[in-house]
Amino acid sequence: MGTEAVGRAIKPALVKARALCKRYVQRAPFSRKKFVIDALMDVDLEIALGCLTALVGESGSGKSTLASCLGILEKPDRGEIWFEGSKVSFANSRELTALRPKIQMVFQDSAGALNPRFSAAQIIEEPLEIQGRESGARLRARACELMEEVGLSPDAGNRSPLEFSGGQRQRLAIARALALKPTFLILDESLSGLDLATQAQILNLLLDLQTSHSLTYLLISHDLSLVGQVADFVAVMHHGKIVECGSRQQVFSAPQHAHTKELLASVGVVEAAFRTAQVGGGQ
Amino acid sequence: MASKRKIVAAVMFLLSLHLAILLAGFVAPYDPAAQNRDFPFAPPTRVRFVDAAGHLHARPFIYQCVARPDGIYEYEESRELRYPVHLFVVGPEYKLVGLWPSRVHLFGVEAPAQIFLAGTDNYGRDQFSRILYGGQISVAAGLLATGTSLLLGLLIGCVSGFYGKWLDESAMRLAELFLVLPWLYLLLAVRAFLPLHISPTQTFLLLVVVIGTIGWARPARLIRGIVLGAKNRKYVTASRSFGASDYYILRRHVLPHTYGILLTQAALLVPQYVIAEVTLSFFGLGLSEPMPSWGNLLANLQQYNVLVSYWWMFLPALALVLVSFGYLNVANAFHERLQSGST
Amino acid sequence: MKYLERRVIHGILLLIGVSVLCFLFSDLAPGSFFDEMKLNPQISSETVAALRSQYGLDKPLPVRYARWVESVLGGEWGYSFAYNSSVRSLLVVRARNTLLLTTLATLFSWLVAVPLGVWISNHPGKWYDRLSMGGTSLLLSVPELVLVFGLLYFAIRTHALPVGGMTSVGFDQLGLWGKTIDLVTHLIVPVTTLVLASLPVLVRHVRASMVEVLKLPFIQAARGHGIGPARLLFRYALPAAGNPLISLFGLSVAGLLSGSLLVEVITGWPGIGPLLLEASMSRDLYVVVGAVMSSTLFMVFGSLLADVMLVVVDPRIRVE
Repeated sequence: MGTEAVGRAIKPALVKARALCKRYVQRAPFSRKKFVIDALMDVDLEIALGCLTALVGESGSGKSTLASCLGILEKPDRGEIWFEGSKVSFANSRELTALRPKIQMVFQDSAGALNPRFSAAQIIEEPLEIQGRESGARLRARACELMEEVGLSPDAGNRSPLEFSGGQRQRLAIARALALKPTFLILDESLSGLDLATQAQILNLLLDLQTSHSLTYLLISHDLSLVGQVADFVAVMHHGKIVECGSRQQVFSAPQHAHTKELLASVGVVEAAFRTAQVGGGQ
Repeated sequence: MASKRKIVAAVMFLLSLHLAILLAGFVAPYDPAAQNRDFPFAPPTRVRFVDAAGHLHARPFIYQCVARPDGIYEYEESRELRYPVHLFVVGPEYKLVGLWPSRVHLFGVEAPAQIFLAGTDNYGRDQFSRILYGGQISVAAGLLATGTSLLLGLLIGCVSGFYGKWLDESAMRLAELFLVLPWLYLLLAVRAFLPLHISPTQTFLLLVVVIGTIGWARPARLIRGIVLGAKNRKYVTASRSFGASDYYILRRHVLPHTYGILLTQAALLVPQYVIAEVTLSFFGLGLSEPMPSWGNLLANLQQYNVLVSYWWMFLPALALVLVSFGYLNVANAFHERLQSGST
Repeated sequence: MKYLERRVIHGILLLIGVSVLCFLFSDLAPGSFFDEMKLNPQISSETVAALRSQYGLDKPLPVRYARWVESVLGGEWGYSFAYNSSVRSLLVVRARNTLLLTTLATLFSWLVAVPLGVWISNHPGKWYDRLSMGGTSLLLSVPELVLVFGLLYFAIRTHALPVGGMTSVGFDQLGLWGKTIDLVTHLIVPVTTLVLASLPVLVRHVRASMVEVLKLPFIQAARGHGIGPARLLFRYALPAAGNPLISLFGLSVAGLLSGSLLVEVITGWPGIGPLLLEASMSRDLYVVVGAVMSSTLFMVFGSLLADVMLVVVDPRIRVE
């Protein structure tokens, strides 16, 4: 526990969120009834540079809302976000354009996250095209490079994403996210819905890329056993609040909040996770 | 693939209709405004292969039509001379597609005989030529009005579905108003408020705009639905995270989904709008004589004696029915393909 | 009855919306009834101006609209410049005639479409199904304009039916029975046109929704229980296919009214159609607005009728 705390103190935070609030209001037309959902209530979070922070919680706990706020896809109602020490929440549109490539997301449902009308290569080219980084033959060459990097054959560039397997599609999504050379990657349930062997392969790929591209990850997942294997830090969300936050060891071996205990117990992975945690923590 | 062959057949039929109308000057043997005061309400000329003596001829021919001395508007064939029907003959000058002057016609007979494939009207004008030229007006109005409707529908549907909120709410309420009103009442009411005495070109454009504007609601609603579905896809979110503008997302990720609906809607709207133009011209609220719109041609039928005595005055209606039939077939084929594609 | 209340309010809002739309359009228009008068050299421009102010046409749009609303509430429905009378007195008789025509047409088209659609849905692909579908797709591409002329042609040719108008010349001298016969014979051509025009869409919809329902397990089960085909189709399947058809009824009124306008003009039926056409030509503003409003009123009534039927047929809607 002591070593983790020290490690956390040394590593600077890449992303900081302070007192984030987000409320969704739905109103039926011609009716005064309102449905109010508080997705985020005073959320504080720090994501350490070069580490894998996991955000766990049940569905509807506000994980995805937090992810899209951090990915600058949604504006929080209140609160502040810092990225690399500068404030994001009040950035103007030019600053945002400069910021966007540094923060990228990989979504869960890779079939829905890839436009079926595009070819694999076009999908990877899209972010480069939007940012105007490459054009013409250079664009295609860069796409092929990226495909190779994530373990896909560049020959498959003209095929539709629908012809790929689930794992290959996820690799494609990762390649697309890497195209803009981000520093911060949000993995929004990116490993869910894959079989265990594929999950392991993708996970290995992500860990390799983390060192080679010096990436910082935020892994959003409901799968505690997965988080137990790879996370450096864990944050637990419940009803729009972060109820527990700390190193993996802290959270898994000595959960403080009742909800964390409940989660760990329901999955029944405490022991297994703890074991891997000890192995991983020793490195 | 049966549905593909169906589409090809339906589209081919429609294309040949449009080609004949587009090249009206070439296909029609006469000028649509040329009057033959000696031959009002002449019946369609019979194209023959067997002459009066019973001899068979390889080349079709006609007999000259002459007025019967004892009757009014009654005609008979003069059997003395055969007038063979020739292809690519030189006739009255016209401008092909309104651009290139030419004198060559697809078919014709030597003067003094005249070939009236669909008879003549009360001024002795060749109805076959008038139907073809009239198609240029009626079908062009239908096509342009459809373009207007789809463009408006696309614009409003996209904005409504993409930006949502109060814009969406008010646009859809307005669409409901337009959908619920009987279109002909709406058309007449709108036409009533617009000027009557203007040049033919202005009238034509006015018709196009009025007809097209009245029909914006249905395509707008359909496109809004598709945009709503498309904009919540994860790949749109991803595109945003790359810094894509709304325009880029609409163009690359949303609009391609609307093409199928646009095509089907177009095939459904064109015949409706052709009929709308015909109806307005028929009522005298559209292009007026001597412009040969199909509505004007059909207006002859309003006199009951014309309706009963001269059956060939119905032939412009046949053209209208053929065009509607062609478009409905194409719409059906597209619809079937869309359905089978989505499942 | 919350549902029906909501529908009534919706209908009223719709009427208000249409009237506002009409006035907005009229404001965009560059001319008016009295501008056509200016073309007449016998009428001085002072007279025209005086007339304009007498009818309040020189007032701004909101004032004109307010006056019109006042007049509607007072039962006048505005004033016709051409007829020199209140619009209501013009409209009431006309509306009655249009209503007679469209109601009969609706009645007969549904009376034909439902049994036909149900019958052919039972054996999709049989020769009579293919014949009906081919026939409807052909009929679908024949516009009302052509249909009515075709029917008129036969009516005149055979001398079987009187043509034009609503009554024959000596109508007032006829007895009750004679009057009825005369009216009915005058109705045949316009009603048949409207029935033929609306039939293809209705038959296709009835068939389509029946084919869907007949695939459902409860029908298969009923079939297995040995329930006869007629009972199965009309007592079991038809009610299950009812909801979309009732909604279609509400929607079909709009198409029918448009068709009716055309048919009225061509056959000389003294309904709203010829009045609207005439008013459009002479820009008799309040008559145009009145005609559009009454057509909207019919539409709203049609869809309310459909709503009432829905409530009666489907108890789930009452709960909602």
